[in-house]
Amino acid sequence: MTNNTKTVREPLLHIVKRDNITLGKKIAIYAIAIVASLLLGAIICSLVSTRGDVIKFFSSLFEGCFGTTRLFWLFLQEFAILLAVSMALIVSFKMKFWNLGGNGQILMGGLAAIACSYYLGGKVDDTLLIVIEVFASILAGAIWAVIPAICKALWNTNESLFTLMLNYIAAGLVNLFIAIWVKGGSGILNPLANGKLPELGNKYLLIILFGILITTIITIYLKYSKHGYELSVVGDSQNTAKYIGINVKKVIIRTLILSGAICGLVGLLLTSGTSNSISADTAANRGFTAIMTTWLANCNPLFAIATCGLVVFVTKGMQKVRPNFGMLDDTISNLVIGIVYFFIIACAFFIQYKIVFNPQVTAKLNKIKAFFANIFKKKKPLNENEKEGE
Amino acid sequence: MKKFITFLLTVTMAFGSMSLFTACKKTDPVAALICLHGEGSSYDKNFIDAFKAACEAKGLTEDQYTVVVDIPEGQECYDKAAEFADAGYKAIFADSFGHEKYMIQAAREFPNTQFCHATGTAGGFANTEDTTDDAPANFHNAFASIYEGRYLAGVAAGLKLIDLYGDDITNDEAKIGYVGAWPFAEVKSGLTSFYLGVKSIVANVTMEVRFTNSWYDPVAEQQAAEALIQGGAKLISGHADSYGVPTACKNSNIPNVFYNGTTEEDTFVIASKINWQPYFEHMLDGVLTEGATIQADYCGTLANGSVQITALGDAAAPGTQAKLDEVKAKLISGEIKVFDCSTFTVTITPDNPNTEAFDGINTNATVDQNGHLTAYNADVIDVGDYLGETNVVKTEGGKTFFAESFFRSAPYFDLIIDGITVGADVVSPAA
Amino acid sequence: MNNSVALELKNITKTFGKVVANNNVNLTLKKGEILSILGENGSGKTTLMNMISGIYYPDEGQIFIDGKEVVISSPEDAFKYKIGMIHQHFKLVDVFTAAENIVLGINEKFNLKKVNSRVEEIASKYGFEIDAKKYIYNMAVSEKQTVEIIKVLYRGADILILDEPTAVLTPQETKKLFDVLRKMREDGKSIIIITHKLNEVMEISDRVAILRKGEYVDTVETSNTNEKQLTEMMVGKKIDLKIERTETDFDKPLLELRNLNIKGDDGSKKIEDVSFYIRGGEILGVAGIAGCGQKELCEAIAGLRKIESGAICHKGESIVGLPAKQIIEKGISMSFIPEDRLGMGLAPNFSITDNMMLKTYNNNKGIFVDRKTARKNAEELIKKLEIVTPSTETPVRRLSGGNVQKVLVGREIESSPNVIVTAYPVRGLDINSSYAIYNILNDQKANGTGILFIGEDLDVMLALCDKIMVLCHGKNMGIVHAKKTNKEELGLMMTGSLDLSEIKNKEYGKAKDSNLTEEEWQQEHLKNENMGDNDND
Repeated sequence: MTNNTKTVREPLLHIVKRDNITLGKKIAIYAIAIVASLLLGAIICSLVSTRGDVIKFFSSLFEGCFGTTRLFWLFLQEFAILLAVSMALIVSFKMKFWNLGGNGQILMGGLAAIACSYYLGGKVDDTLLIVIEVFASILAGAIWAVIPAICKALWNTNESLFTLMLNYIAAGLVNLFIAIWVKGGSGILNPLANGKLPELGNKYLLIILFGILITTIITIYLKYSKHGYELSVVGDSQNTAKYIGINVKKVIIRTLILSGAICGLVGLLLTSGTSNSISADTAANRGFTAIMTTWLANCNPLFAIATCGLVVFVTKGMQKVRPNFGMLDDTISNLVIGIVYFFIIACAFFIQYKIVFNPQVTAKLNKIKAFFANIFKKKKPLNENEKEGE
Repeated sequence: MKKFITFLLTVTMAFGSMSLFTACKKTDPVAALICLHGEGSSYDKNFIDAFKAACEAKGLTEDQYTVVVDIPEGQECYDKAAEFADAGYKAIFADSFGHEKYMIQAAREFPNTQFCHATGTAGGFANTEDTTDDAPANFHNAFASIYEGRYLAGVAAGLKLIDLYGDDITNDEAKIGYVGAWPFAEVKSGLTSFYLGVKSIVANVTMEVRFTNSWYDPVAEQQAAEALIQGGAKLISGHADSYGVPTACKNSNIPNVFYNGTTEEDTFVIASKINWQPYFEHMLDGVLTEGATIQADYCGTLANGSVQITALGDAAAPGTQAKLDEVKAKLISGEIKVFDCSTFTVTITPDNPNTEAFDGINTNATVDQNGHLTAYNADVIDVGDYLGETNVVKTEGGKTFFAESFFRSAPYFDLIIDGITVGADVVSPAA
Repeated sequence: MNNSVALELKNITKTFGKVVANNNVNLTLKKGEILSILGENGSGKTTLMNMISGIYYPDEGQIFIDGKEVVISSPEDAFKYKIGMIHQHFKLVDVFTAAENIVLGINEKFNLKKVNSRVEEIASKYGFEIDAKKYIYNMAVSEKQTVEIIKVLYRGADILILDEPTAVLTPQETKKLFDVLRKMREDGKSIIIITHKLNEVMEISDRVAILRKGEYVDTVETSNTNEKQLTEMMVGKKIDLKIERTETDFDKPLLELRNLNIKGDDGSKKIEDVSFYIRGGEILGVAGIAGCGQKELCEAIAGLRKIESGAICHKGESIVGLPAKQIIEKGISMSFIPEDRLGMGLAPNFSITDNMMLKTYNNNKGIFVDRKTARKNAEELIKKLEIVTPSTETPVRRLSGGNVQKVLVGREIESSPNVIVTAYPVRGLDINSSYAIYNILNDQKANGTGILFIGEDLDVMLALCDKIMVLCHGKNMGIVHAKKTNKEELGLMMTGSLDLSEIKNKEYGKAKDSNLTEEEWQQEHLKNENMGDNDND
């Protein structure tokens, strides 16, 4: 340590870019951010409503996800769906192809499945119908994703815009078909009779198993397969990929087929696997939510498990907070979810940069740290004394 | 570092155990309300307010009833209803048409819980031929003869037109507009009864209708109202759940007749609404009182307070209240029938024989040589085939009328009568 | 309070995470002197200067200007204290004129005419040549550097810091720059030059401060020292800085290029009628100022860029039009390193293991990649080349420049190429790493590999290469034997003032013992012309 006394007033703090950060610290920063954001949300909710307080907020969050068996299954189901969509986006994002069309691909997959059920239901054997639905949904989702991919590969079009716009077209197509099928004009397609996916034990298990399966497959695909390797090279440096002879166009198209196919299957599960009906809202914006979870997970499938779990926990939890707090519209709920997202994004700053205070402030902070450290340290000597005493 | 993680875990566990603890302390729940949208929608707000009032009137504490909002017409409705049934709620009510199938699904699973639903068509029809539409005994529908309220609102509207343009009101001035959600019976019943109410005061009135193909779309509804005003309408009413139409009326200073709510604008004339409180009290009686049951298909009336008109707004014409009281009494006594066939004519356009689609207009009607309705086969028993099978035209006390809400609480009047034209749909871009 | 001291640093320390970039550095700069900061790549020179110019903030230590302690927390503060830094990478706006760039950021109203005249006043005072109205994108590199220098002089800088100024200059331009610096010194300005070139230190500076691995070693009077002493202080031990030129028997030409014409991305001619060949066991250097066509040449050889016309033959077979992968399979290895080093050769976020696999990942059967073998190879390479890295799985972008280079070159060597094309292989490397690379190249040369060495340090190339080709604006100015030429001649060729092919009326670059006869060459030309016609532009 230097001894020179400063004669000039130094700035209070300055910001230094971190060279590297350990995983433990990263997790700690995220954990603090999440707890802090939820705390803020709890305070806001308890101020807005007379029916609840901070404790009730957190207990409602847990209740909404784990309160009853059914709620727990619903939590797992939603978790699995979001995870599956995240996997679809991870393979695409890892290649730096911004597939923002998850919603549309899900809808097209669902639409294909429902269309099969509508037109072929009763005319073919139900098992065969299900098989057809599976293929149809995969095909529809894949096509919806591969059109922008081909355009990008051949003409370097902007895939973000293209995939986004296809979302709207898909929603329009769904409404169109509903208008054709439902003559009364109610816009509601009642659950169809045929082609419903079989239940494994209960309504939710099929979807949950699918989520687990897809996550496993994609994790292995990305890490261990040649395709996954090529995809990563293309994403990391297209020049390098070209140099070592990877056919970049082929890789882009191939990856997007996979991405769309997964979304298509999700669409199948959300329609034939649940109500056997479809509406323009079937995707429930999961295509966009998955962008958030994928990004937070840094395109790593295993981290995505954590981010998806977190997002579903908060969303489902808020669905219980609302009635418990007597909130009759979703503004506060959206606000809290937004606050959580915002804090998590703000984390990125603290992960990349460190705040360094000037020496006077640092000295004071060290004193505070030492104080807390002493509290924890005191416990140790007590135990040892007890052991000796025996 | 490790110490910090330990600290975090401890906190998490503390919260977790607290949550379980508080979860155990649940009091005995009674009633739950499932809404399609939230309080931002006049339709849902109507239910929410009535539900709360009814629960309080029956002496329930805040822990015993709950409201959830933004439940779409899909699997989520079933999930929510089942969740409530799990939690021990005795009566569960869903407020939107598309919730019906999912409520029935839940009703089959929880035979000891009562599932009630507004605007639906399955309750009261044990159709043994098609088991998927078979409504179990613990499933109940409810609606009200809102067309009577609409008629009264129409009378107020007619008086306003006379007030603005005088007794010698010209055909151009006697133009009104209506923004409808979907082109099917529930909406058509409302718009026709409104029109007939206006016509009873202004004989030469014509009405243009535009549909938005959505129950709740503020942008499209406002745009539709603006289009109607552009087209010459001097007064706008509607059947849609947002405040888009009143906003357009306020901006153009055109009188507005609203539905299910009121506005503070000085263009507000009157609104008709269904007061759900009588029904909710009936529903609560059914689960709280020994031996009481809930009606399979309840239809509230003007008489029992389920159908109401609101207080008059600033735009109402002088003398309206007196006239309304007069007409209301006659409606209750039966002296006036809203759908009196002598007051309107119907033109029939057959289906195009070259296509399979139902593209004719008023094809299920039978009319006499003057165009007045003599018979009509309505699709009362709704098994998804859109075929009319019940003749709903009755003759009583010398009057021939279309007996709306008689055979079933949910409306089935889906004719387009003369004097009403349908304009182009106004749909806002998918958002 | 020493009035002759312009700048003093006391106990300056700066840490980035675990790396201590500067540890307790003390420095004094007198008024009216030129001080060299000498140190290897990675010794902390640039970090230290960045703290003086306000880009970084010291973790510990004090800065004194004219005897008073100051706090420099931003470049604006630095300007306040009349410190001006000329960076290695210029910070100029291409679409502005020189005058507009000079005046950019000054918070006063200005009159361009007045600015122009003041700029010319400054220029003539110190001997610069500048056209204040010229647009930056029209300027050569040395002109841009002039603009940067005048930029700081315009703001009244008394202390100037130049970061590796001669890296981008020809020998002639370097001489001119030094004349200017001397004039500025006479005017009382204090100048710090950051450099690692010993001959320049001896030529221009009054005193030399040496940094080594973040530590301050000493400051000596230039007149009292010599290159050997400086080397020892810089590296920490006695080291012979001589680069070996391995003597080999040259083989037949491995790679022959004839009459190449290559267009750049913007459609301009980047390589114009260039011919040369590389023999097995020979190192052919390519010298030229930045943008003279080296990048396009490398890309063409690697199969990543189409040629307009001409012929490229490897061991007698044409490689024009072949996909990059096939060219690699023929044994032509490319380690082309653009400015950021992690361009075409490596994937920055991949681990060393994954980068090792880049060329060989598809060789094994099945759908899975074989990381085990690649990991073993990586471990061997790390040992052999003494690569400093936490593990084989560290992402390559976290390695220091020298180690990244070792990974790249090491991987290329693994595939036993017969032709190596390497560009700026030691850019930014410390001395030990640089010499390791030279040794590797010499080893390969001894094995019969032909090496195309594109470099910027003429001293190194004169020592290492057998022959040197100079490109200027895409044209071949001549191929000379390294033993028979010197820096001045090369410098003249680089700027286009000396065109040997014109003077000596010789056609350079066509081997007498070529693999193909003249007729066969003609056929190749025709074939490639037709190929070019088929691709409509």
